[in-house]
Amino acid sequence: MKEARLDFLRELANIGTGHATTALSQMLNGRLFQLVVPDAQMLPFTEAAEYMGGAEQVVVGIFIVISGDVKGHMAFLQPLESALVLLRLLTGIEQPELDELGRSALQELGNIMVTSYLNALSTMTNLLMVPSVPGLAIDMAGAVWESVLAGAQVTDEVTVIRTRFSADGEDIEGHILFLPDHEDFEKVARLFGLGEL
Amino acid sequence: MTEVFVNMGEISSSKNQGILTTVGLGSCVGVALYDPQVKVGVMGHIFLPQSRPNDPQAPPGKYADTGIPAMIEEAVRLGASRSRLHAKLAGGANLFPNLSMSSTSIGQQNINAVVEHLKKHGIPVVSQDVAGSHGRKMRFFVENGVVTVTAIGKDPVEI
Amino acid sequence: MAKTVLITDDTAFMRMTLRNVIEKNGYQVVGEASDGEEAVALYQELQPDMVTMDITMPKMDGITAIKEIMKIDPKARIIVCSAMGQKPMVLEALSAGAKDFLVKPFDAERVVESLRKIGS
Repeated sequence: MKEARLDFLRELANIGTGHATTALSQMLNGRLFQLVVPDAQMLPFTEAAEYMGGAEQVVVGIFIVISGDVKGHMAFLQPLESALVLLRLLTGIEQPELDELGRSALQELGNIMVTSYLNALSTMTNLLMVPSVPGLAIDMAGAVWESVLAGAQVTDEVTVIRTRFSADGEDIEGHILFLPDHEDFEKVARLFGLGEL
Repeated sequence: MTEVFVNMGEISSSKNQGILTTVGLGSCVGVALYDPQVKVGVMGHIFLPQSRPNDPQAPPGKYADTGIPAMIEEAVRLGASRSRLHAKLAGGANLFPNLSMSSTSIGQQNINAVVEHLKKHGIPVVSQDVAGSHGRKMRFFVENGVVTVTAIGKDPVEI
Repeated sequence: MAKTVLITDDTAFMRMTLRNVIEKNGYQVVGEASDGEEAVALYQELQPDMVTMDITMPKMDGITAIKEIMKIDPKARIIVCSAMGQKPMVLEALSAGAKDFLVKPFDAERVVESLRKIGS
């Protein structure tokens, strides 16, 4: 049961992140941008914060509510260093600051990332998945994770898709959480010919 | 001095010495229960207000309704007296304020639930650093009952 | 030829990016709105030749803003610039009155191409 669910989410992740990465590389104007195959893991939710390098590490988190045919939530989290690399590549500023414009750029990056992911899934399934205005938090990993999980009402395990990018010689990390509501996840699974997951 | 880290949903306790610490309080509420006479301290990291039927294996400390009684029981087990116990709270923030997913944020719901259950058991909240939109780290020094709260970019505050 | 543009996007960074592209190509940005409500108000005040419109915004979303602006001016030239590119949304925007729909991220040429096409 669990394996099937994980495999299915991995499949969705491949499609979604591929699309999102194309979008991201377009935003970074011709920088070499390779996607390393996404790795999906099912984590007991208490381990989620440690997964990203410790509950105290500073991370950048984008969080959206999904509405439409598939309801739920989605989050994109990155260690701060990775987010700063993307910010540098995006703005051309060597030492980008996390001032209002910097935060705005990070928000837009995350927004395009999750929306492109949803667009890909939507095209595949013909189900409408509408993202909300995104929320942005730059804070301790533990705090961001638990706020995402509580907001999405996830009480058990969470499937995290870890993606690694390489841009301009730099290694960047990002974590995507696609958290559809249970009934809607079943809806998507059934479309792929998968029974009760 | 031993420092014990209390994860989401966990409850830890100590007597006379040690530091109970919880890192990364976002919407969760960190609760420090203390009996100053016998120096018994219990810390919990509450995730959601109410336990649910679809999570029967959940550790009691995950939800306010099961967590508060469990914490009190643990304190009593170590020799604390209910009438002497007091509580200090931290957390219950809303890290994504512009999302407004419900009229009351989860963080605020957690604060309300924790306060309600403590009141039900006659335990006063003597100080707190709650709400807002930033994450917190809470350290509870069992030797003297001091609790410090730290947020990124801010100096530690004693509550 | 249509020259003035009102930019609408809830992200300051995107407004700045669009402004740079638009101004570099000979157009004049006469105003910036950060939500649909502001866009409608500024449209009435500034009467721009063209409008770029995001969809996902607080207070009033882009589709509603398009409808409101079209009520004020049925000849309004609105170009949607949004990350949300799912077909039902594109169709809804176009039937509400938008003249073009650009999916983010878009390159500068695509924006300019749209402005030229819609503006003539």
